[in-house]
Amino acid sequence: MEPYNIFFFGSVFFLAGVGLESLKLNFWILIITAALAAVFVLFGFWKKNRRFFWIAGLSAFIAIGALYSAAADRNFAEKYFPKGETLNFQGLIVNNPAPRGSSQSLYVRTKLSGAEVKILVKAERYPEFHYGDLISVNGAIKKPESEGLPEQAGLPAQAGYAQYLAKEGISGVVSYPEVNLIAENKGAPFKSFLFNLKNSIVDRFGEILPAEEAAFLSGLTLGERSDFSPEFKEALQTSGTTHLVALSGYNVSIVIVATMALLTSFLKRRIAFIVAFIFLVAFVLMTGAEASVVRAAIMGALVVIATESGRIFNPRNAITLAGLLMVLINPKVLVFDAGFELSFLALIGIVYLKPALEDFFNLPIGGEKGTFSWRENLLMTSSAQLLVAPILIQSFGNFSPISLVSNVLILEFIPYTMMLGFAVAVFSGISHYLALIGGWFVWPLLKIETGLIEFFGNFNLSLNMSLSWILIIIYYLVIAIFIVKMSKKNRLNNERIRP
Amino acid sequence: MKEFVRKLIENNFGKIVFWLALFFILDILVFRQIGADVLEKDKLSLYFLPVGQGDSELLSLPGGVKVLVDGGPPDALVLKNLDKILSPRDRYIDIVALSHAELDHFGGLIEVLKRYRVGVFIWNGVPKNTSAAKGLMKMIKDKNISLISLAAGDAILYGISDIKVLWPPENTVASGESLNETALVFGLESKNTRALFTGDMGEKTENKIMADLANGVDILKVGHHGSKFSSSASFLEAIRPKAAVIEVGKNSYGHPTQEVLNRLADVGARIFRTDRDGLIKFEVADDILRFFVIK
Repeated sequence: MEPYNIFFFGSVFFLAGVGLESLKLNFWILIITAALAAVFVLFGFWKKNRRFFWIAGLSAFIAIGALYSAAADRNFAEKYFPKGETLNFQGLIVNNPAPRGSSQSLYVRTKLSGAEVKILVKAERYPEFHYGDLISVNGAIKKPESEGLPEQAGLPAQAGYAQYLAKEGISGVVSYPEVNLIAENKGAPFKSFLFNLKNSIVDRFGEILPAEEAAFLSGLTLGERSDFSPEFKEALQTSGTTHLVALSGYNVSIVIVATMALLTSFLKRRIAFIVAFIFLVAFVLMTGAEASVVRAAIMGALVVIATESGRIFNPRNAITLAGLLMVLINPKVLVFDAGFELSFLALIGIVYLKPALEDFFNLPIGGEKGTFSWRENLLMTSSAQLLVAPILIQSFGNFSPISLVSNVLILEFIPYTMMLGFAVAVFSGISHYLALIGGWFVWPLLKIETGLIEFFGNFNLSLNMSLSWILIIIYYLVIAIFIVKMSKKNRLNNERIRP
Repeated sequence: MKEFVRKLIENNFGKIVFWLALFFILDILVFRQIGADVLEKDKLSLYFLPVGQGDSELLSLPGGVKVLVDGGPPDALVLKNLDKILSPRDRYIDIVALSHAELDHFGGLIEVLKRYRVGVFIWNGVPKNTSAAKGLMKMIKDKNISLISLAAGDAILYGISDIKVLWPPENTVASGESLNETALVFGLESKNTRALFTGDMGEKTENKIMADLANGVDILKVGHHGSKFSSSASFLEAIRPKAAVIEVGKNSYGHPTQEVLNRLADVGARIFRTDRDGLIKFEVADDILRFFVIK
């Protein structure tokens, strides 16, 4: 068997193992592993194909994945276990706290009962604390409990609040304790610098634009969502446009495409690609290099590579690698992070289903060269939405078909808005008045976009239903068969492949 | 480079036409807005902002100077209302005034100072030792905004507008007396209209400033969100407001109290409430006082 296939099957089995362990199937995992191995061995004898023996052997990775996930669980559980006692402790703020309404959430790293732990401190809005502040906290540490929705997550976690916090590595919560600042700038200097840069850009947007438009631009360019009003968040959800402000692979791919377009006008294509890649890494670091953004960057880069090289490039292993890396870093994202699942499915939709749909409707490959890219946007939105729909319905209980219309209309403006937004960010570093003028140009676009989001947010056409797992599996099988069929047909008339 | 530009135009002709058309339409909208601003400049407009349980008023004086009085509690409501009132290009507020350093009056101001350029910050000069109040003072310092304490007898004159500070007396310090009774109280006279801004003052202060208000008041910002310890019958009888605005939201104090509502009705004042009416605007142009209720 070829090395790249060994990698692929091994990774998929490993991921399956992590998933099964997260669902707490414990004993069943061994049975499933054994059964799968047996089935593949039988297939091998039946089809007289040695590949199946390889696959049977690799299925052992299910058990390895399960063990890995279980070990991470144990490691977390063995750390300090809060009993609700009132404690006075010192700790370092390790996140970029985003004030929200009348409170702010601080992730504080500290040492309790000999273990290094992360505690979530919900503090009053003022005074504002920053990354790298050393603080003393006096309050009762409670175990995270599943009540209410996580405010920090852009998308509500499909599991409860406790699981969301466990995913973030939080082992205790303190609500409105006495907090005192001991020292500033005790964090990693480079991270401090990047958070400061990001915060100052968000502040500049706030200085030159009305609050709502500024918040939207911050979300679009930096994935910062702390200033959104609850009404606007709901409108984003109902209109199916939340992904725009979550710094998804889409936003990141725009950043790459735009830099590429700019660079290729005076650089050789290959050099331009390398420079764009360096730019991307810097951008990711600036937005805080949170796991979700790293994922988006890998995804965005993949989308660009896939579109740059037509369909000859097979992104299968790249997608698998991205998933594997994310899960190795934090095994909990696989099952407890809806955002992780959604962005992977959306990417698979864009990479595999979109070309299949293009073939099916006999459209030119790689999008048409017309005045507007509505057809391209529609195809992209549809293929992503078709794949995420069951998860949206399962996790959030609704999926809004209006998102096809809203996305096609809004996406027309987004690339220009993002580019102007970055330009304004650069201007604001030079002069407030220059940025103000830039703001006059970007404001109309933002107004149109927020207007459309609010307008489509009124259409609550959400399909409210629950799906059985069987139905979901059948749904994905049908899509998979469609993709396979179209790609086979495509192989027959491969004159349609772009040279 | 020339080649690049030529290609860019050739390949994107349709797009370029579309964007030019779009910007043309937006231009017209912008100039209409500027035209409207010029017409607005001659009017006196008083806005009472619905910021929940807290105070916030915006005065737009003839000539275009803007005075923001208080900013409500710490949430984005004051920003949302300012965005409704001001044009999107307007990022400057001439004067921000704080009646007294309590959270339901200054909480929203910190974000306002962060996002708007502010000419001068005026207040009663009585500090409060809370972390939020310190946050406000730090923001004023960081943003290099001049901070001025005013006291009874001080005045701000601008064109035909006259803002007279009635309370507190000079050199007021936070003593045993409640902070509410140190609130900056001022009257505005402009375009033959008199308005009184009271902060959270109670009966005690009312009795002391009554003599200065012998000419009566057209528009009254009702003291302390309609608390029964403010807006005494004798005070209302003396100033006889035509319109009374109660700035109030969800609260556990029972504001506005029935007693105050009755006393206001007794002197024939028309009562407005930010919790029920939303954004309330009074406008004086051509010697006519109009009011608008903007939901």
